[in-house]
Order: sequence, then C-alpha cells, then structure tokens
Amino acid sequence: MDSQTPSSTPILELRDLTVDFGGVRAVNSFNMAVAPGELVGLIGPNGAGKTTVFNLITNAYHATSGQILMEGKNLRGLSPDRLCHRGISRTFQNIRLFPFMTAYENVELSIHSAPQYSLFEAFVRLPRARRKQQESRARAHQLLETVGLEKFAHARAGSLPYGLQRRLEIARAMAASPRILLLDEPAAGMNEDECKDLVNLIRQIHESQGYTIIMIEHHMAVVMDLCRRSRIYVMQLGANLATGGPEQIQNDPQVIKAYLGERKNVH
Amino acid sequence: MGYLQAITILSGCNLLAVMGMAVLTGYTGLFSIGHAGFMALGAYMGGILAKELGWHLVPCLLGAGMFSGIISLGIGYPAFRSRLRGDYFAIATLGFAEALRLLLNNIHSIGKIRLGGAYGYMDLPLLKDMTFLPDWAVVVLVCLIALWVTHMFVTSQYGMNCIAIRQDEAAAQMMGVDLLRTKLLALFVSAFLAAIGGALLAFYFGYINPSFFGIQRSSDLLAAVVFGGIQSLIGPTITAILIVAVPQLLLTFAIYRFIVYGLLFVVVMVFRPEGLFGYVQMNSRWITRLWRRNPASGME
Repeated sequence: MDSQTPSSTPILELRDLTVDFGGVRAVNSFNMAVAPGELVGLIGPNGAGKTTVFNLITNAYHATSGQILMEGKNLRGLSPDRLCHRGISRTFQNIRLFPFMTAYENVELSIHSAPQYSLFEAFVRLPRARRKQQESRARAHQLLETVGLEKFAHARAGSLPYGLQRRLEIARAMAASPRILLLDEPAAGMNEDECKDLVNLIRQIHESQGYTIIMIEHHMAVVMDLCRRSRIYVMQLGANLATGGPEQIQNDPQVIKAYLGERKNVH
Repeated sequence: MGYLQAITILSGCNLLAVMGMAVLTGYTGLFSIGHAGFMALGAYMGGILAKELGWHLVPCLLGAGMFSGIISLGIGYPAFRSRLRGDYFAIATLGFAEALRLLLNNIHSIGKIRLGGAYGYMDLPLLKDMTFLPDWAVVVLVCLIALWVTHMFVTSQYGMNCIAIRQDEAAAQMMGVDLLRTKLLALFVSAFLAAIGGALLAFYFGYINPSFFGIQRSSDLLAAVVFGGIQSLIGPTITAILIVAVPQLLLTFAIYRFIVYGLLFVVVMVFRPEGLFGYVQMNSRWITRLWRRNPASGME
C-alpha cells in the first residue's frame, strides 16, 4: 500500500499527456505513474487541468498527444465503456447519477453494464437470467451497505441529499469492479465531520478492496490524511509542478507559491 | 359488436407500434418521427410472405419483424456511430419513412410481386382465414404476448442500460454501457414491434396502401408515448388505445382531433413533462396508484 517505489510496474502511467482545446493547452506534457494499490492525490489550483486529466484517462476527451498506459498497454483510443470493462471507473465532480433511478438501480446498472445473459434469456426470463439478476442484487445491496446507504436503497437517486449522492457515486463506481478508481473531488461541499467520515470510507474501501485510487481533492485535510503514506501530484497550468509525500508537498516553495500560499491567506 | 372488434384490432395494431416507440423514446430517449415507416416495412413484408410465399401467420409476423428490424439497423448504425445528436436521428427516421412511402407509391411490381404502387397491395390473406381464432382475438393475443415480452426486456439488464442512456448518456458510457450496441438494440426491438403491428394491419384489411403510413401515423405514435409517459409501458398502452378509440367513438368530432392534440401536447409538456404515467412501471401496484392519482390531479 505504502509503495514509495516507482520502480515496480505502474498500473497506470501517463507519459507526456497533452491536450489542446482550440488554442488552449489544457494539459501540457503531464506525467504520472501509479503503482498497483497506491492511493495517489492529485491537487492543484482551480483550472489546473485535474479533471481534464481524468477525462483524458477515461477518453471522454481525446488526448492530442502522449501516452496512457495501463500495465504497459496503451489505452488511448478505447471508448469509455471499454475502459470501464478494463477496470477504470470514476466518479464525477458535478455528480452524474441517474437521477430517476433508485440508489439500488444506479449501483446495479453498473454491475451488469455488459449484460451477463443473452437477449433471448432476457425476453423469457430463463432461470439463468433470473439467477444472474439475483446475484447482482445481492452485490448491489452489499455495496450500498459499504457506503452506508442501505437504508436509502429504494429512494430515487436525485432526491438524496448531496453528501449521500457523492457516496452513491462511489458505490456505483465500485460496482463496475474496477482496479483503478478515479475520485473527482469526493469531499466537495462537505463539512468537516462529513469529510472525516469520507476519509474513513475511502480508506476502508482502499484497504479492503485493494483498488488503486487516484483522487482529485481540494480539501487539504482530506488529501494530506489519505495520502500520508503515499504521494501527491501537484498540477499547475496543465503541467506537473511537484510530486511527493504530504510533508514534502507542504514545504515545497513552488507549491506554496502556486497553491497553498493562497489558501493559507484565506484560512 | 363488429364495430367494437374493428376498434380493438386497429388499436391493437397501433399499440404494438406504440410499444416499440415506448422502448425507443420512452426508455432509451431516442426520438423517431418516422416510425410508420417500420410499420410499412412490416405490412409489405408480411403481405409478401403470406401472399406470395404462403407462410403461416406466426412466421409471417416474425419474418416481417426481423426484416424491419434489420433495415432499422441500417439506419441506426450510421446515425448512432457518427454520434449525431438525438434530433438528427429523428430527422433521419423522418427521411427514411418519407422516402419509403414515396418508393412504395411508385413501385408497381418487384418481379412477379405486384405491390401496386399508390393503388396499394391487394388481395392479401385475411387474418380471420389464417388462424382458427377470430381476428380480434389474434390481435389481442399478439398484443398481450408483445406487452409481456417488452416488459421483460425493459426490466432486464438490457432495458436498464437503455434507461441509463436516456438519463445520462455520458455517465452511462463511463459506467460501461456500450452506447452503440444498446441504442441499436432498442431500435431493433422497436422496429420489430412496429412491423408486427403493420403486418397485422395488412392482414386485417387484406389490403395496404402507402398512404396508411404517412407522417400522420408517425406523429400519432410519438404522441402516444409523449402523452402516455416516458419510462413506462402502461401509460403509452393506455394512450395508444385512446388515440385510436376516442376519434372513432366520437367520429363527428374527429376533424377537431388535431386541435385537441396540439392543445394536449402543450398542456402535457408544461404540466407533466414526463407524461401522464411517466415512470410508472407495469406491475400490480399501478392499479392502486392510478386509483389514487386520478381524482387527485384530475387529469383527462
């Protein structure tokens, strides 16, 4: 878990990742290497290109140049659904649940986004289709329990309070059985208590499921706490600014100048 | 009694096509304004299979459905693949239906098959001669089977993927839903159902004419789903029957139907954008829910 060893084969590696939107270079030769089972933070001032990096990894945006490698294999050009089946799952900065489905259905959908029985079996509900559906039902409820939403299983996702929607997004992302989990500002809009709960939740799923997690987060307390034994990548203007453990980052003069310095004045 | 039977048959045929529309528009969020084209394909193909090849009713219906479904993939594949936005797909279906109607208007015969152009395709086997059941019973039976199968589809993992696409396409794809495949599947199912409706219509009249399948019918089908409600089978089922039955029963007012349609469209869009029975699933609960909701909101 606390792999400070970039020498082991990275599960995800970004090499000179670049994307241009018209004349704007949103991500500029960004490099990142994440070891299996690592929990890496990705921070940077607003507009630094953090979410764009996630969108490039999941191919929601097409990279202009550079490489995205998963265990050494190129991922560029694969559609988002293929990437999901390869084991990359994510949450969204601005929550994107299926608002008119129940919490349970949101999670269940993600479990079987590639249906596990044939169309014919679906039409006539052969025992196998029914059994598959029961299996995914059990797993969906288990996941809801993990994030503490079992009571809200049959509530419409869009009607849940904000914090719970974020948790539901995590459950939905987990339902796809990912190996790499991309969390985009999971603590956004949460108060301090909720943040603490969230830190516990993320730590728990990281440790119990063995996911590799990359997390974008603005709450410094959350990032520093979760990444205290691993590394944090700092982005500025689409490029790498610094990389290192929480202490190292907090004392990096460049980071302080670009990012933490500003925040210190606020608090 | 004969009159009531006729209404049953006509609304049954309509219902089959509307069910198809419900899968495509109500569940997957793809708008088609040319669904009558798929009915026409089914009607002509069913007619050819029955009259020229002498097939029995069930293989005729399945053959007509398959034919229409396969053609629909030919329209859907380029439209969905190039990531045309939803409205462009709707235009594509409109173009398809109109082109098909004009073609059928002008093709008098294919080899020995005399389609009759604008005069219509005549002397088709009649539904009542094709089975031992009365014709209205056949239609009701086919509708019930189709309703059941469609219900199974929309509640299956495939149907859930369709629903996810309608609610948030990008999120659905990120969660692993194959957009192209799922959309094509929904289109196929809906074209299949529409074709069966068209084929039954052909066998009921024993005669079909391209003008049966004009834009008017397409908009009737779309209206049934918009009124009936998205993500619901039971809502469109009710409105599909109403849309055929009400103008027939109030024949004197039939000419005012479009004015009423227009008004209803606006009212529904403003006050219940999800349709009258939007998100109402087909199960035993809807009866009680219907009971409770009807007096409360005083709709229709």
